[in-house]
Amino acid sequence: MKETLMDILCCPLDKETLELEVTQTDQSQTETEIIDGELVCAECGTKYPIEDGIPNLLPPDMRE
Amino acid sequence: MDVTDLREQRDIEQVYQPAEDSHLLATTACEHICADDRVLDVGTGSGYVAATVQERTGATVVGTDVNPHACRQARDHGVDVVRTDLVSGICGSFDVVLCNPPYLPTDPDEEWDDWMEYALSGGPTGRAVINDVLDALRSVLSPSGRAYLLVSTLSDLDAVTERANENNCETTIIEEESVPFETLVVFEITLKH
Repeated sequence: MKETLMDILCCPLDKETLELEVTQTDQSQTETEIIDGELVCAECGTKYPIEDGIPNLLPPDMRE
Repeated sequence: MDVTDLREQRDIEQVYQPAEDSHLLATTACEHICADDRVLDVGTGSGYVAATVQERTGATVVGTDVNPHACRQARDHGVDVVRTDLVSGICGSFDVVLCNPPYLPTDPDEEWDDWMEYALSGGPTGRAVINDVLDALRSVLSPSGRAYLLVSTLSDLDAVTERANENNCETTIIEEESVPFETLVVFEITLKH
């Protein structure tokens, strides 16, 4: 995911802001791609993984 | 086959692939979207509609899908994708919302409980997902924005219009195409002020 995507993402549980923690990026594109990392809700603290460039904004009980 | 090929094969089997409805929505949407529009494709599936709009109009398109196989396929098609249930992880306002929802009326006894069922079944009326999308539209659409929603006569067009009206939205049918057993239409939906 591109970092600019942060503007439109929110916690699915309480619609609050997410904080981005980056583990791995891909700099080969025109815009830096975040490949692995985590999104953490600033309000409730729920963590959402970013894996293979895809943020997973399913609440924990909806993930497989 | 190596691991990547197997994964791709499984993704294709578990994801709704572009059909008449996808083509109709993509073609219609392209006529109504310009390069500086911010576009959200809800339930992007293979990413076909999102990728087509992105390529032909130059607009920035973000796709959402609940299905992890669909997310991977859409990303492989160059779409920025978020795994979430419809728009539940999305905030902010978009100029355009696109959606080709699952619309087949399905008897609860016939639900087969895999990702393809999610992509096809609209519950007993065919409108389960359509209704959820209409109810959520105001939360993601800018005041002057418009949504393009693909609906089939199988899921009762009047009932869809009624639900949109309940959400204080206006609907216009801007495109239709007859295919065996159903007519596909594209609704343009705007917010009443």
